[in-house]
This record gives sequence, C-alpha cells and structure tokens, in this order.
Amino acid sequence: MNTLFALILALVVIYLGYVFYAKRVDAQIIKADPKKATPARLYMDGVDFSPTDRNVLYGYQFKSIAAAGPIVGAITAANLWGWLPAMLWLFLGVTFIGWVQDYSAMMMAVRRDGDSITAIAHKLISPRTRTILLLFIFVYLLMIVGAFGNLLAGTLNANLSVPLGIVVLALAGMLAGQMLYKWKMDLIVVTLVVVGVTLLAILVGPLPEIVNAVKGFNSSLNTLGLTIYFVDVDGLVKPFTTSYMFWLLFVVAFSYLGATLPIWRYAQPVNYIGFWVMALTIVGGLLGAAVAVFVKPTLANFVLPAFTTFDAGKGGALQPLWPMLFVTIACGAISGWHSLVSTVGTGRQLEYETDALPVGAGSMFSEMLLAMLALMAISVAGKGAGAAAFANGVGQFLNIFGLDAAYGAALGFASFVIIVITVTQLAVRFMRVVLAEWAGDMWPIVKNVHVGTLISSILMIIIVLSGTFTYLWQIFGAANQLMAALALMLVSLWLVSERKNPTYAVIPMVFMYVTTIAANLVSAYNLWATVVQRHAAKPELWFAVAGAVAMIIISFFLIAAALFIGYDAWQAYNRMKATQASTAPAE
Amino acid sequence: MKRMRVHLATLLQRLTDVGQSVRRVLYGATAHEIVLYTVRLRADMETLFILVTLGDLIGVPILPPYYSLRLLPYLVPNIATWKRHVLRERDILDREGVDLLG
Repeated sequence: MNTLFALILALVVIYLGYVFYAKRVDAQIIKADPKKATPARLYMDGVDFSPTDRNVLYGYQFKSIAAAGPIVGAITAANLWGWLPAMLWLFLGVTFIGWVQDYSAMMMAVRRDGDSITAIAHKLISPRTRTILLLFIFVYLLMIVGAFGNLLAGTLNANLSVPLGIVVLALAGMLAGQMLYKWKMDLIVVTLVVVGVTLLAILVGPLPEIVNAVKGFNSSLNTLGLTIYFVDVDGLVKPFTTSYMFWLLFVVAFSYLGATLPIWRYAQPVNYIGFWVMALTIVGGLLGAAVAVFVKPTLANFVLPAFTTFDAGKGGALQPLWPMLFVTIACGAISGWHSLVSTVGTGRQLEYETDALPVGAGSMFSEMLLAMLALMAISVAGKGAGAAAFANGVGQFLNIFGLDAAYGAALGFASFVIIVITVTQLAVRFMRVVLAEWAGDMWPIVKNVHVGTLISSILMIIIVLSGTFTYLWQIFGAANQLMAALALMLVSLWLVSERKNPTYAVIPMVFMYVTTIAANLVSAYNLWATVVQRHAAKPELWFAVAGAVAMIIISFFLIAAALFIGYDAWQAYNRMKATQASTAPAE
Repeated sequence: MKRMRVHLATLLQRLTDVGQSVRRVLYGATAHEIVLYTVRLRADMETLFILVTLGDLIGVPILPPYYSLRLLPYLVPNIATWKRHVLRERDILDREGVDLLG
C-alpha cells in the first residue's frame, strides 16, 4: 500500500458514497425541494437567519467540523490495531454513518424552523431529554478539554521547536483583533501581517538557539522536582514533570484568555490565523502524499503493519477492535460534534434545501480526507504517537516540494497544536457559560466570567493530571460518538414523525448506541483493573487513582444519560405511532 | 475552428466558475465567521435601540416619548423582523453555540 493508492481509494469511496447513496437518500427519502422556503429565507433577519451561498457554507461547515479528532484518532487507532482497520472504519463509517448524521441533522433543523438540537429534543421527545442532553454536552466538553489539554501539554513539553510559534500565535491573535475591529484595517492586509508573522515564528522554531533556550527553560523548571505520578496505558507508573505542568498551565492561560476576553479580541482572530496555518499544512500534505509515489517512492510506502491484533490491550487492559476502534476514531468517520454545527450554525444559513447535501455530506466526506492524511502520515512514519507521528509524516510529505523536513515537521507540529488549542479555548468558554447558566442562581459568583473560567480550568487540570491520554481519548470518543447516536436517534424520530422511512438513520443509530455504551464499559473496566485495583494502596498515586475513579463515574454517567434518553425516545416513538394510527384514515 | 472556439469558451467559463467556487469556499472557511460576528454586533445595538425607543411593542413598559415616535416611520420596515428576533425562544446552544463553532 502507498499514499497515492490510499488517496485514490478514499476518493473512490467518496464518489461512490456521495453519488450512489447520499444523493439517493436526499432525493427519495428526504426529498429536498429547492422551491421550499428554508428558515434562512423565511425569517431572514440578517443575523440568526441569513441565506448564504452553498460554497461559502461548505467552507464554513468544514472549518467548524475539522479539528484534532480526525488526526489524533486515526493515529492512535493505527498504532493500536494497524492501518487497515483504521482505514476501513474511516471509509465505511463516513459512507454509512458520518454523512447521514451531518446531513440529516441539518435537514431536520431546516424543516423544524431552524431549531437547535436541544430544542428539537425538547419538542420531539421531552423536556427532560433537553436537560440531559445539555448535561451530556457539558461532560463531553470536559472530556475534550481533558484529552486535548493532556495532548497539548505533552506536545509543548516534548517538542522544543513548537512553543515559540504558539506564543506568537497568541500575540498575533490579539493584534489581529485590534487591527480588524478597532483600527478597521483591510482583512487582506491583516491576514498577510498576522499569518506571516505566525508562520515565521513557526519556521524559526527549529533553530538551535530557540530549541536550546526552550530546553534550558524546561530543565530549570524540572530542577524544582515537583511531580505527579500517573499510570500509562501499558500499566506503567510515570511522572508528570514540572515542565509538563508548566506547559499545561500555559494551555490553561491560553484558554483563559479565549474564555474571558470578548470573542473578537482573541478567540476569533486566533482561530482565523490557525485556519490558514492548518489549511497550508493540509493542502501541502495531501499534495505531497499524492506526488510522493512518483518523486520518492520509498517515502510513499506504508511501513506500519496493516493489522496487528484484535485485542491490542497491554498490562491487563482490554483494547478489543470492537468496540474500541469505533470510539478511538471519531471525527473523520462520525462525530456528534457535527450535529451541533449542522443545527446551530449552518442549518440557519441554508438558502435552498438542496444545498444541504453538498454542504453537510460534502464537508463530512472532506473531513475523512483529513483523517486519511493523518493515517498516511503515521503509516509512512511507521510509529509514533499523536503530534509527532503527524508532524514527521507531514514533514516528509512537504519535503517532496523542497521544504526541509525539519521545517515541514515544525509546520506539522504547529498546525496540530493550533487545531487542538483553538478547540480547547472554545470548549472552556462554553463550559464557563454553561456553569453560569446552571449554577448561577444557586451561587451567583459563578456568573462572574473569571470565576466560571477558573472553575472550568481547575476541572481541566484535574482531569489532565489524573488520567492517561489513551483512556481520556477513548472516553471522549465514546462521549462524542454517543452524542452522534443521540443525534441519529432524534433524526430517526423526526423521520417517523414525518412518515418517512427512517431505516437509513436507525441502523447506524443502533450500531453507534450499542458500540459506544460497550466502549464506555470497556474504558471503565480498564481504569478499574489497571489503575484503581492495582494502585489504590499506593500513597504516591492517590491522584491517579482518584482521577481513575472520577473517569469511571463519568463513563457510567454517560451510559445512564444515554439509557435515559433512549427510554424517553422509545416512549416518544410509541406516542407518535399511536397518534399516527389514530389519525390514519379508516379503510 | 468555430467548434474549437466554443469548446475553449466553455472550458474557460467552467474554469472561471470553479475559481469562483474555490474563492467562496475559502471565504466561508475564513472571513464568513468574522462577518457573521460583526453583523450580530450591529444587530445587538439595533435591537437595543429599538427596545429603548419602542419597547412597549413587545410588552416592555417603555412609553415612547414624542421623539421616539418621530423615528417610527424609519423603524416600521424593521419592526416585524425585530419582534421575531427578540421574542424567539432561545436555549443556551442558540445563544452561545455559534461562538463554540470557532
């Protein structure tokens, strides 16, 4: 297997899935009608509801859904089970489940007056469902910040060429906000300045002077000797060093700014710059992967094993292919996050119903290509975790065009960190808002922007320092995929209420529902067997044990929430069927 | 020759269309969010202004003074949209979810 062949396979899968399946569902089941008024055209207030060109919406949707999930998930899964199962899940998942969720959630929002997913849950199922779903989203965001925080701190600590670029990104973001909103400068000028400065800092990062400076800084921190011990996925006890904790605090500070400053001042311009860096990396990486087989054939060949084992667990943990592969790779195949984007964001801007397919399904299929890039990067590198595998693979792909591999890798690292950190800061922001909404009446101090953010940040730190990355990632994946199952459940109910055939949504929903509940159970077992049971009596590991217990509770909460929603949905389905039977014309 | 010219013209048109689509996709992925945010900022200010001047239309006990009524002819085209925008039920995802999309 080589990169060109893998890319061609992916493009063939996209073509077949889109043309022969997605279009058929759009035409024969949903029956999208370009003459029907969408909420954007009906309400057109120019704010919440604003008809927008389909190409613009495609870019908007893709940017909103493409995050670290397709990259980290694909790499983690390939390391555990080999590249073949990961690739198969990407292809089959996106074809039969991923686009179904994104597109159907969008059409559901369009046909239900632009309601958000929680509002639809309230109306279609019950008020309790909405509350549970919001709680679910909060916990899901907590898992995101935990998993991503762990990833970011580890990457910044271990890769000395990266921190400079991220520090400059933060400063450039603030400058961009000032230039755009206060000085009212032209967007193109602002883009050239801030993106240029950020790219320069990224490319300067690998210079020996910078690397040595960061190394010296980390070493001086580590002389303080503050460590917290954790249990890794192989059951080994390892320390979080002082420098790791410093970089974790850096990530917290970065997210703090994103959560407390007005969105135009920091979060939005940082995301804007981040997108440009990411886009350059993705486009360059994909082109390099396609061309590599002609220019440097040895580089293009996959060296990672196609398949390693069904159960990749070590040290007493279980990592069976089913169900764990399906939660390890989330975005790229199927992701619950996308249902939020489709309903709250894009669904209210759709000009014609027939735009939903190219926008919703098209962007999901495109995200699969991003996951393929990550998979190809690890497959040609042969080994490596997360950011390092992605960055080194991308560095090699960019080397095809003459860019030194070290600089290519620096760009890959920076893109990776940028993708992850932009999501993390938004997640912390949302957690602050949700805390204020729920707990603000009981404890008014929580409504304070800084207090709310501080609480969210402390929760993030606790989750990061108490858990191993792989389990955090899998619980996050399970939460994300479970949300997808719940979104598909809502879609199925909506289809039944519209007297349409729900089969195309029900089958994926049942699969995801069962798989993610099973995955949560496996994760809970792994944490119990490898952390709690083995290390409960060791005082130096009290934090890791407490964290594992918290993760187990979270896993069971997610299962309980899913069961409650499933029960309510079943009740709602029976009510719908009874109503439809009673209003059916007499034969 | 004529057929070749027609084919070339069609090809050029297609390339132009593709270029236009790519520009729009890039705009969607980059500047569209900034535009949406700016529009929301302006709308918030307009909403506040109309609320202060004609709030009694939606039950807020602000009796419009004489000078507010003089603004009425200019505000009438926006009143229906404004009322729908202000009175629409929103949950937390509606209010804050858009910022979450990044």
